[in-house]
Amino acid sequence: MTSLGSQGSSSSSSTEYVVRVPKNTNKKYSIMAFNAGDKVSCSTWTQARMERDMSNRRIYGEEETQEGAAGSEFGKKQREEARRKKYGIITKEFKVEDQPWILKVNGKAGRRFKGIKKGGVTENASYYIFTQSADGAFEAFPVHAWYNFTPQAKHRTLTAEEAEEEWGRRNKVVNHFSIMLQRRLREQERGGGDEDEEEGEKGAKKKKKGGRGGDLRIHDLEEDLEMSSDESDGSNGDGEDDEAKAKAKKEKGAKGKGKKKKKKGSDLEGFEDSDDGDFEGLEVDYMSDESSSEEEEPEKTKPNKGEDVPKGIDEMSESEEESEEETKNEEENKEEEEEEDGKKTPVQVEKKKKKDSSGESDSSEDSDIEGEAASALFMKKRTPPKRGGGRGSAGSSRTGSRPGTPSIDNAATSNTLRAAASKLEQGKRQTTVPSSETPAAKRLKMEPSPQSSSGKSTPQPASGKSTPSASDVLLTEDAVRRYLIRKPMTTKDLLKKFQTKRTGLSSEQTVNVLAQILKRLNPERKNINDKMHFYLTE
Amino acid sequence: MSDKGHDVDLTRAKQNTGVWLVKVPKYLSQQWAKASGRGEVGKLKIGKAQGKTVVSFNLNEELTVVDCSGEKISSVRSPREHPFTMQTVGGQTLAVFTESSDKIALEGMVVQRAECRPAVSESYMKLKKLQIEESTKPLRFSQRLEKAITTNYKPVSNHSHNLEYEKRKKEEGKRARADKQKVLEMLFSAFEKHQFYNIRDLVDITKQPVIYLKEILREIGVYNSRGPHKSTWELKPEYRHYQEGQEEEKEAAKME
Repeated sequence: MTSLGSQGSSSSSSTEYVVRVPKNTNKKYSIMAFNAGDKVSCSTWTQARMERDMSNRRIYGEEETQEGAAGSEFGKKQREEARRKKYGIITKEFKVEDQPWILKVNGKAGRRFKGIKKGGVTENASYYIFTQSADGAFEAFPVHAWYNFTPQAKHRTLTAEEAEEEWGRRNKVVNHFSIMLQRRLREQERGGGDEDEEEGEKGAKKKKKGGRGGDLRIHDLEEDLEMSSDESDGSNGDGEDDEAKAKAKKEKGAKGKGKKKKKKGSDLEGFEDSDDGDFEGLEVDYMSDESSSEEEEPEKTKPNKGEDVPKGIDEMSESEEESEEETKNEEENKEEEEEEDGKKTPVQVEKKKKKDSSGESDSSEDSDIEGEAASALFMKKRTPPKRGGGRGSAGSSRTGSRPGTPSIDNAATSNTLRAAASKLEQGKRQTTVPSSETPAAKRLKMEPSPQSSSGKSTPQPASGKSTPSASDVLLTEDAVRRYLIRKPMTTKDLLKKFQTKRTGLSSEQTVNVLAQILKRLNPERKNINDKMHFYLTE
Repeated sequence: MSDKGHDVDLTRAKQNTGVWLVKVPKYLSQQWAKASGRGEVGKLKIGKAQGKTVVSFNLNEELTVVDCSGEKISSVRSPREHPFTMQTVGGQTLAVFTESSDKIALEGMVVQRAECRPAVSESYMKLKKLQIEESTKPLRFSQRLEKAITTNYKPVSNHSHNLEYEKRKKEEGKRARADKQKVLEMLFSAFEKHQFYNIRDLVDITKQPVIYLKEILREIGVYNSRGPHKSTWELKPEYRHYQEGQEEEKEAAKME
């Protein structure tokens, strides 16, 4: 066979090449088709791995477990076959050739593709691949099959039910980022399981994740992409369940944990940063008028958690009561660790698991507050576990009335606690009425003074401890009165309303001040759900 | 189940080898399959006319003979000239990979798509006509026979199959009752393999008369008249131990 080189023919310049169809090749050629929009460039691949997706085998294969002795009948297979023939049941065979491909590019951190065979390609026309060989001739190879490859999402997606729910809420929800966050947290609650151990692992992994946690949501997807890796192989449809199970059983070990943690870390970073306490506006339970306002809060709040919360809180209270001690210790430990890294991930994580709503960072302080509040206010033996419950419910009520608080604290322009604190420190007397409320927050420092001092400010050096960025909440008698008029609240609820971050008081101070206020107000007591609630009727 | 996970050989992909994807009519690919020797099927002419690239394929002479299912050598020949219609790859990124028995390799990317069309000519039309005629023929058809077939279903006094059966039966004779211990051993070994047995199957295995076998079975086994394994015999629970140590158990039970 001669290969004709450039051979000029008369009219147009053309070159002739010999076309060969090699016969002996044992290689089967197939087409791998990618969508142009996926921007796939094979030259950038450093490493690729391809295997058949056998996940459909169990549907087709009547391969029940090969039962040897036990439970098997003699001649069962033949009988089954005869029966099928008699009834004309034709079952499609599981052909490996027709199964989809799974292509993994660049290892664990790379992309994944699923290639589904396209039918009908070779029916009426044949495709050939023409390659130019060394001697200038063309070699034509027939195409055996055509596979359409689509990239597989590594980020988590909603299931059908969740998607429908979200669709129903689409007009109300503004913050779409929180949708996935909610879902994750819900999963955690469901798959709570061995939380101690989980935390331990998380603590270990925290360092790794901490580094990436500082970024905002935008980073989330990439983090997921990095970490999810092989989690979704196989049963894709059960992706969510798998993750829930992984959380619950820690079977997936580090990876599952890491992914979950990282997500939480990154999400909770946001929580941390948004100090406004916006994310407290979660519960929709008692006060329907707040539902919309909650959802408009643009931070990583959980507006959708609103509906979940009412029941969640009670459950939380109960669950917290059970294992409060451990969690408290762990929280504190975690918090210390976190503060080293500057991130509060595990605490948040753990808290999120145990208590849903409050994303506060001062967990330990809160728990202190509640315990002491309980004892201070009731002066009877209360089990510490009440702390958690109180916090949960306090959070609910507090957030529930959050929109109300601006009305309490409004008007004052210098309403930031910082300003108030600084003023107090300078020993200035607050003359304006609204601002009189601010130093009232500092009342905890003064000796228990009579009612008359409620409106006055005493030149007390502000604790100056933790200065919150915004003071929407001040611990005043008026504020407490308003809360109690509106609805019955427990001490924990009240404490939730006056978070230390917001009021600038320490936990002890808050407790003391609250105790004094309550003594002054002398609200009526009612037992709801075995909890002592206070309320006022005006 | 073979492990089909293969690392893809990316050497050609890195070289950015470009290939053409050409759609070829069915009859042409059939002709190509008949190529002999090294597989040379024709010549590809790539030229430029009026600024446009013109590609055409010329089929070799010997391959133009068309095999048709008809009895006679057809006078139809497939056309020789086949201009290619060039197309862009467009909205798809196409790569080519090969599978051989032991590995998967990426051969390259498709840079050009083309369609091979036959140059319309008389011979092509005739060829198409032939094809259409063939495809319209129904798969099944009825044909009238001139003579009735008399070679089937002749009456016989006794079928050969029956004769064999009777002979076999005679040889075997009636089943004799073997030693009870031996029968028990046979039964236990059978029940090691499967848990449930039909009485017919047990008779076949042990070659014992049914009544005798049933007596023995009643001692060591139980009959399931209902349930998923209906009308089957299985060993009694005390004899049953479908794990290791099965034999010792059964031996112990047997001794009782």
